[in-house]
Amino acid sequence: MRRLLAGIATGALLLTATACGSSDDPSDKSSSSGGVTTVKVGVIPIVDVAPLYLGQEKGIFGKHGLKLEMTPAQGGAAIVPGVVSNQFQFGFSNMASLMIAQSNGVPVRAVVNGVATTGEKGKDFGGLVVKGDSGITSAKDLEGKKVAVNTLKNINDTTVRESVREAGGDPSKVKFVEIAFDQMPAALDSGEIDGAMAVEPALTTAKSQGAVEVASSYVDVSDRLTVAMYFTSAQYAQQNPEVVEKFEAATKEALAYADGHPDEVREILTSYTKIPADLLPQLTLPKWPAEVDRGSIETLRDLGEKDGLYTKTPDLDALLP
Amino acid sequence: MKHLNLVLGAAGLAVFLAVGEAVPRLGLVKEAYFPPVSTIAGALAREVSDPAFWTALGDTLTGWAVGLALAVAGGLLAGVLLSVVPYLREATASTVEFLRPIPSVALIPLAVLLYGTELRSVLLLVVYAAFWQILIQVLYGVQDVDPVAEATARSYGLGTLARVRYVLWPTALPYVMTGVRLAAAVALILSVTAELVIGAPGLGARIAVAQTSQAVPEMYALIVVTGLLGLLINVGARTVERRALSWHQSVRGEVAV
Repeated sequence: MRRLLAGIATGALLLTATACGSSDDPSDKSSSSGGVTTVKVGVIPIVDVAPLYLGQEKGIFGKHGLKLEMTPAQGGAAIVPGVVSNQFQFGFSNMASLMIAQSNGVPVRAVVNGVATTGEKGKDFGGLVVKGDSGITSAKDLEGKKVAVNTLKNINDTTVRESVREAGGDPSKVKFVEIAFDQMPAALDSGEIDGAMAVEPALTTAKSQGAVEVASSYVDVSDRLTVAMYFTSAQYAQQNPEVVEKFEAATKEALAYADGHPDEVREILTSYTKIPADLLPQLTLPKWPAEVDRGSIETLRDLGEKDGLYTKTPDLDALLP
Repeated sequence: MKHLNLVLGAAGLAVFLAVGEAVPRLGLVKEAYFPPVSTIAGALAREVSDPAFWTALGDTLTGWAVGLALAVAGGLLAGVLLSVVPYLREATASTVEFLRPIPSVALIPLAVLLYGTELRSVLLLVVYAAFWQILIQVLYGVQDVDPVAEATARSYGLGTLARVRYVLWPTALPYVMTGVRLAAAVALILSVTAELVIGAPGLGARIAVAQTSQAVPEMYALIVVTGLLGLLINVGARTVERRALSWHQSVRGEVAV
């Protein structure tokens, strides 16, 4: 027994030693060797970030002297602090979150476009869906009903409110609840919620279970709405302007490539998501324009302001590239 | 007796699996959201043939093992120190009781800020949760020392180290072992949770990817894996406990039945 305990104790000590020994210098996580800079990018493993994976595979980032290390994280809650503390050099976040962060004094700097709406009503990668037999036919009918969004006080409830407004309804009468995208189809089906602002692949799943789309809320805000962007911290942008420039140029090229090669996008999705093969061809892919649409972001900012998203008006000149 | 237990255990599992197969098949819940056991088994078979699955399993086990080891070492050290140094326990009692109920997952933003989505942020959460399990058990264990035995040891002229070894340690060990067993389970829960919420590499992150991808059978297959891991860890912890306490009446009693 004594030997067993001694063994456990030694093992514990060894592990402690390795755990302490492996801590490296956290001040600069990007490393360069042979003219190639490795940067960590905090991404959400969803369709939106496919251009980065595709660009990496096609050697677009390599050509610009960059090697991306994609770090899947669960949503902006993990990505924004990770970027600010330089755990990731770049991150992916939706526009409302970025503006909220900026208005709260978090030093974030948007670098390059992330993803945009397709601009086609009824054929966007995100949509406001209701249960098929609910009798709800327009966003106005959601007055007094329960609508799910993935995060409250963010891009999705703000865009849904705009849909309700455009349909002639009163958005203050809609009750919003927070449910993760992937659980929306089931929640809708069980009648727990009356509507949901779902994005792919949950949108396709919901529709295949009989849900009906009543509005394309992103399109309702602007048919060119910039939904999300890649960003970095103000500090990193100041200290490594050349890396940021390279990332911007390479990502623009990758976005254009992804936009022109939807089949390759569907193919690359199998490498970092587990989207079932039968769902893959039905997905509505977003648009990946190389440039952001500032006008649409201003519209989103104004709508967000109306909904009380910000502590003070976000400074787009400071935020956008 | 042992055979009967085994048969009963197997029968219970079989009924559980049969219910899992029947409920979606009968349409009580939609197959799309809760696939039958056979579909999950198929997804599990696909998972285990994927090398990335084994990497993820390794990542989770690393987070669990390192975190548990750190928590046990820290908990033991702190526990003995708190009880041996006079007044230290009284001075720290309120702080311990304040820190202990804080859920480890509430520290996720802090973990991400400090360590991003690396192993170290998993360790922070695992160690924080598991540490208290050990510490509290050590404190109770030390308190349980028989004053007569302690006085006897003193009157026989045993020094501090000898008394820790022959009086305190045997008394506290059963408590410590319970603490280790509890901490082992907590550490697994926290390492999977951390991966799931933060996105640190491991089974949890794989579950999260399956969730966002609407790959429902794969998600349940991975959940089954975490359940199996928990089962194995519990069996392992019990074995260690039984061997370390083979001399103790609680274990000897078990054998006699």
